[in-house]
Parts: sequence; structure tokens; C-alpha cells
Amino acid sequence: MASNSLVGKPFPMVDGVEKVTGRKVFGTDMSVPGMLHGKILRSPYAHARIIRVDASEAKRMPNVYAVITADDLPAKRVGGALRDEWVLARDKVRFIGEPVAAVAAGDEPTAEAALRAIRVEYEELPAVFSIEESLKPDAPLVHEELGSYEPSPYIFRFMRPTAGTNIATHIKIRKGDTEKALLEAEWAYEDTFYYPRAHHCYMEPHAVLAHATEDKVLLWTNGQGTFEVRAHVADFFDLPQQKIRVMNTGIGGGFGGKITPKLEPIAMALSRCSGRPVKITFTRQEEFAAIGGQHAARVKIKSAGRRDGTIVARVMEVTWDAGAAADRGVSVALLSGAVGASGPYQIPNLKVDSYLVYTNSVNPCAFRGMGMQQVCWAVESQMDIIAERLGMDAVAFRMKNAIEEHSRSATGEVLRSVNVKECLAKLAEAIEWDKQPQEPNRGKGIAIWHKFSAPASSSAAVAKMNGDGTVTVLTGASEIGQGSTTVLAQIAGEELGVRLEDVTVVSADTEVTPFDHGTYSSRVTHHAGNAVRLAAIDAREQLLNIAAELLAQHGAAADQLEIRDRRVCLKGKPGVSLPLAEVTLASQSRVGLPVIGRGGFRGAGRYQLDPETGQSDVPAASEWIYVAQGAEVEVDPETGKVKVLRLVGAYDCGKAINPLLVHGQIEGSLMMGLGSTLYEKVELDNGQVMNPSFMDYLIPTVLESPPMEVFVLEGKPHELGPYGAKGIGEAGIVAVAAAVGNALYRAAGVRIKELPLTGNRVLEALEEQRQFQLQQGGSREKFEGPRI
Amino acid sequence: MKQSLQLKVNGQLHTLEVDPWRLLLDVLRDDLGLMGAKRGCGEGYCGCCTVILDGTSVHACCVLALRAAGREITTIEGLAVEGKLDPLQEAFVARGASQCGYCTPGMILSAKALLVTNPDPTEEEVKIALAGNLCRCTGYVKIVEAVLSAASNARERGL
Repeated sequence: MASNSLVGKPFPMVDGVEKVTGRKVFGTDMSVPGMLHGKILRSPYAHARIIRVDASEAKRMPNVYAVITADDLPAKRVGGALRDEWVLARDKVRFIGEPVAAVAAGDEPTAEAALRAIRVEYEELPAVFSIEESLKPDAPLVHEELGSYEPSPYIFRFMRPTAGTNIATHIKIRKGDTEKALLEAEWAYEDTFYYPRAHHCYMEPHAVLAHATEDKVLLWTNGQGTFEVRAHVADFFDLPQQKIRVMNTGIGGGFGGKITPKLEPIAMALSRCSGRPVKITFTRQEEFAAIGGQHAARVKIKSAGRRDGTIVARVMEVTWDAGAAADRGVSVALLSGAVGASGPYQIPNLKVDSYLVYTNSVNPCAFRGMGMQQVCWAVESQMDIIAERLGMDAVAFRMKNAIEEHSRSATGEVLRSVNVKECLAKLAEAIEWDKQPQEPNRGKGIAIWHKFSAPASSSAAVAKMNGDGTVTVLTGASEIGQGSTTVLAQIAGEELGVRLEDVTVVSADTEVTPFDHGTYSSRVTHHAGNAVRLAAIDAREQLLNIAAELLAQHGAAADQLEIRDRRVCLKGKPGVSLPLAEVTLASQSRVGLPVIGRGGFRGAGRYQLDPETGQSDVPAASEWIYVAQGAEVEVDPETGKVKVLRLVGAYDCGKAINPLLVHGQIEGSLMMGLGSTLYEKVELDNGQVMNPSFMDYLIPTVLESPPMEVFVLEGKPHELGPYGAKGIGEAGIVAVAAAVGNALYRAAGVRIKELPLTGNRVLEALEEQRQFQLQQGGSREKFEGPRI
Repeated sequence: MKQSLQLKVNGQLHTLEVDPWRLLLDVLRDDLGLMGAKRGCGEGYCGCCTVILDGTSVHACCVLALRAAGREITTIEGLAVEGKLDPLQEAFVARGASQCGYCTPGMILSAKALLVTNPDPTEEEVKIALAGNLCRCTGYVKIVEAVLSAASNARERGL
């Protein structure tokens, strides 16, 4: 790329000044004249029949403009994957926190008083609170009519619920002959691991402002996908999509928690009912009541192989706690629980069963990593257990089995742009793997993993040239703090030969910007980046055709021209050029037409696996990224506290379009992963969240932030990526837990199979180890699990 | 019953009539239109609403507006002087210390309160000063870097 290239440079965010001056307008900052405040009445029961809702008193209260219950809404189920939810509960409630009614009032205290005035009579039903309870043959059913539910029309059509059970979906991978391989294997080990629920804890709560009139519905949202919101509310209220305009406000973090439209239909219904604009903002407590965070998982894994360290078979059963609605859990169960579960390894015989199971609790949804950290925690912990038993080095054992360019994935896809071995080699060097720390109670650990970007999604973009040679780029993708505005501006500027400050990116307004599936699954740089690149190339071609006319006296043809630093130049003849602004101005008045470039991109992959074997002749993911994660920890034997001394990792993103932002994504993602590893768990007691505040639910502060050494590898550009780029937003989170768990084992000799690795849990394990060593004279045998 | 209140915010005097239960955060945002202080939890744990009150960083969601009467309040809107960004603001942009930006105003003000009394802090002192401000995006690495670099820039420029 040219020396004045924008791609590959660490530009600060183009909206950085807005943020540091407090001028950025977020969802919680929105207000319009006449605006009412909406509040939601939530179920106090985990599972109960609704006998009666009496809202008459609330409706009579002064300064209350709308009170709605299920009867005021279309009798239609909604849902991210399967239509298994009501916008407001109808007939029964399925979790504590389920919306039952909503009000809009002139101020928040009045809205809260109106909620208290709504009388709901419930009849409690037996409930299921764990995957174990839920899978019992006589378990109460969370959804009695599961067999009759329809898949939702947007994004997913991939659901296989089992009628008469609590199983929302069951995905299978069958490859080779695991039974035969297990019989012939020289070793086989089986372990079970648990990963808890964690919450996204974006700093900005959900906030939606709705203004519905006869002609138009305006929705301002801090959600991650405006087009999904539009499709969702258009479908629910049976309105044409062009009557609904969904606009993003500034978004104070999402991490997956703001994809599923939760508030928008309620705010819109309140606005229709009151005839006034209505804003709903979640309290922090409501965030925990309404948004279930990340899926807790139980991962059973059996691996078998030969004495030389070759893994020949892996059998996994992954069970995800869906809460009361399938939502994006379907994607988690499919892509992490099945497609990617067995890890970045070449294993000829695979049998994987992934179950998404309903319970009576608030449903988890999309969450950074999308389930990969749960399965990685299990597989990569077991990899270390096995390596030790085989007397093999942990790096060498992984190197022996890891995938390479053109290896086949679990679903039969031929993999490209694979560099997990390069990542691992870089990590081993950077963390000095050959030297374990000499100090007592210290250890290093490693883990590798892969992360998909979701298949079958698309982005479109428009690049409009302004009269002065500047550019306005329209993208439907949401800027949630990851820096897409900056990256997309770099790409457009690169292709159009202008400076970064010449590009304005307009994001996520369904009436203005072209379609985009939204910001999730690390997809924006790869997908929207491609769309913007193609739109800019299209605009450039138009510009050069116009410029060729203007430079006709020099005998210039369009294909001999290029744009460099705001000038159209004749290649090889530095004297012949004209300002880009002259071309754009001419396009508006004298020559050609005003220049509007358009581009579109659909990522690779489809949701199209054989239902019995999980095999497919098309890729199951848009692209895969690879991670090698290391951690060095110190354990306090008195308190059990695990201190992470440093995190070291090598991450593959094909091409870092903006290295500053790539590092930022990785560091933030690492810290989020470390939160689940050491501190965070949504505590549920009979479906009730017990720690719904930042006092009780502890996310890491700056004091818990360890030194991070981040190495970004660009050696294997992706053939479809813009400049070879793949998404990097989730690279950091997936392998932290396993790396820290493995380091803890080396530091203290204890293998803990359930997160978080709290002081109590470590202390118990140390005490158990001490008792055992007293009996056995110092052996570590017990902590190696059963041999099958 | 409403009470009369004089607030001095970013050097500007405001005379208001407020209900005695109202919080400083709400008065700043709803009555004065200063939206830079954010509500992240409303319970004094996240620090998104941090402002500087008589030189000390406080959670504005936990301060009654009347308690701020007659005291010097600095919000993020008052940090840049005549359009010139504070070295902290510059460093937060340049170092990538702000991602979504929701915690940023509070984070910068906590750092500002530190640097005013301790212009040459150690990394540990920076961390302690920012421990009341949560950030979920950055992992804090670039935030600490930004504060240390802003401190060093400010010292060099004699600010």
C-alpha cells in the first residue's frame, strides 16, 4: 500500500473528541418535547399462571397517559430465533423479571407509582431452575406448546425444538466412527467442566425513545442492530417497514446484550397508546432482571488417542442454560456448542451433542465470545490434563494436533487463513514457555482457540461524493464503541485517495443508511468493511471516468488515472493532475452525474448443516480467527486468591486496519474474560438474580487489570477480507479462563473445573490437596481425574 | 417544597429552585443541560457520573444538589479551556483510552482530581485514583497509559 495509506495506521477514533468532551449523545441522553417516561412491571414469580391483571386504578391516576398489558398488544409471539416469547406476558410468566405490563407517565416517580397500582393475580407453578432439573423426564415444561412454535423470520431459521421437553434445540456433529476409535485408542480421559452465567455490564443501560404517529414511527435506540429492530417491530405491529424509522443514538457498549429488541416494541406500544413520545431507560437492577447475560454451560468431554500424543477421537456433550427463551442461544448452541466445540484441532472421529435447555430464569442472549469461552475452558483445561498424563509438553501436544491451512473443520469445511500454530509459537516465545517461574506459588499456563464470525450475514454501503471532494459514507452497521466509524472511514479514504478527515461516516439509520445485519459476532470490519470498500471503489471508478473527460486534452483514459492525496493524477506523469474537488464539482454541474458509489457484501457460510451429522458442503462460519493465550499467575496459599501477573497472547486478525483499535479490542476482551474467570457470576436463587448491582456483582476495576502483552499476527490474510481483515472483537475473551486455570494448576497443583476461580474455591481445593497429600505422601495423582 | 439553590458550575453561577431530594446529577443534566455526567448505575458504584466538587471527585448520583450549594463544581464540559482540550482529554483520544465513551467523562475527571493535587503520580497512584470508575470496554490498559502520559505532557508544558 502507498505511503500515504490510511489502512494499517493507528488512527485515534474519529469521534474521540466528542467522547472526551462529553458531547457525544447517548441513548440515555435523548429527550424530545412532550416526552413521557415508560416503566415496565415485571413478574415476581419464576413460573406462574396469570389469573387476572387489573390496571384500572393505574389508568385513573393523574399524569399517567398509557397503561398496557398483553391484551393491548397483537397476540403474536416474538423471538430472536424461535417465536417463544411474548412482548408482555400472556397467560403465564416464565421467569422472574418477565414484563407483564407497562406504563407511560409524565415523570418517573408517577410511572413507578402507577406500576405499584397494577394488581396482578398469579397462581404459582412448579418451576425448573437448572439444566439437570429441566432434563428430568417428568420436569415441568417451560413451554408446553414448544412443538407448535414457529422459527422467527429474521436472521435464523435454524431451530430444532423437541416437543414435550425443555429442549429448545439439539445440534449434532457426527464425523468418523468414535465408538471404534475409542475401542482402539491407547488412552481416553473424561472430564466435566462448568462455566457460569456472567453479565455484559455495558456501562450504558438500555434506552429507547419511541414516537409513533399515524404516519410514522420514530425509534431511537442504543441497540446493536437497527434493521433487526425495524423488522421485528414491523412484523409485530404488522406495519410496512418504510413506516418505521429506527435510528441509533450513541451506544455505551453492547457486547451482544443489546442485539435482541427488548424495549422497542414496548416503548412503541406506549407511544401509540398515549400519542406522545415515550422513553424507557433501564435501571441497573433492571439490566440484571431483563438481560440474562452469557449462557452458563456444562461441558462433558471425552478425548482419546495414541501414546505419541495424537488425538483420535473426541466426544462432547455441551448443555446450555437457555433461561426461558431460546433467543441467540440457538446460535451459541450451534456455532460454539457444536461447530467449534472440539477446538482448533484435527480430530478424525467426533461426536458432539449440543443441547439448549429451557429453565425458569431470565434468558441469556448474545454475549461477546458467543459461547466459545465456555467450550474452550473445558477443552483446553483437559488438553493440559492429558498432556501431563502423557508426559508431553503442553505446547508440543497442541502443536501435534492443531489444524493447519486446508485442514477440515468439524463440519467438513476446508479451512483457509489458518495460523493457530503460528499464534502458539509466538506465544511460547513471548511468554518464555521453556522457563516456568522459580518463585513458589507461581505458574504459567497456555490455551489456544478459534472463533467464528457468524455465517450468512450481509452489509451494504453507499459512498457519496460531496462537491468539495469530501466523502459521506452510509453504513447500516452500529458503532458501539469498537471504532467502526473510524475503520470504515479509513477504508473509504484509502480507496478514494483522500485524508481521514475528509470522510464522514453516517451509521445505522434505517431511513438513510443501507441494510446491515448489525454489530455482532465480530462481523463489522469484515462485512461492512468490504461493503464500504466496494462502494468507494465504485465511486472512484465514476470519478475517474469524469476526470478522464476533464483531462481529455492530455489523452488520459480512466484506467490510467488514480487518486492520490485529494488529486486525480495521470499515472507516471506527475505533471498532469487536477484536484478531486474539481471532479466532484464538475460531476454536479457540467460532466457526468453526482457520484454515488454503492457496495454490498455477504459473508461466507450458511446455516445449512446436515441435521444428523452436522456435516455440510458449505462453510459454517463467515471466517475463523485464531488465538493463543497465555497467563502467569501467583496464588496466595493463605487466602486462595489468584493474582494474574500478566496476560500474554498472540491473535490473528488477517490484517489490522487500525492497530490501535485492534489492541483496544483485545485488551478489553481479555479483561472481560478475566472477569468471568476470577470474579463474576450471576447468582440465581430459584430464578431470582441475587446480585443485581455493581456492589454485589463485581466486574474488574483498574486495580484488577494486569499487564497485557498483545501480539497481533497478520501473516495469513483472509481471501475475502477487506485488505485481508478478519474480525477481532472476540479474540481476547475466548481463551483467558483456560489459560489462567492451567497456570493455576502449575502454580498450586490444583485443577478446578468450575468458574469463577474465587479465593474460596481455590482455598477449598488447596485444603483437599493438602489432606490428600497427607494420606498419599505428596502425590498429585488424585487431581488428575479418572482414567476410563 | 422547592428550595433556592446557587450552583457554581465550571465557573458559571446558576440560581435554581429545586426539590430538596433532587440529586446533583439530575440537576446538572435535566436543569442545566450538562449531559456529560452519565448515569450508569445510580448507586454510586460505576463512576460514570463523576464530577469534581471542591477539588475532590465525587459520584454526582450520590450527592444531593443542595449539598453542592456554593461549592465549586467542575464537569467534563468545563475541562477544555477556550476550546483547547485538557492534556487528559488529548491523551485519552490519542491513546485510545476511550472506546464507547460512556465512562470517559467520569474517568477523566477522577484523573483530573488526582493530577491537580499530584501532578507526577505513580502508576499505582493512578490506579487507586481511578478505582471508583468502571470501564467495560478497554481493560483499563490504555486509560492508565493516557493518564500517565497526560501528566508527563502537562508537566513538560508547565500546565
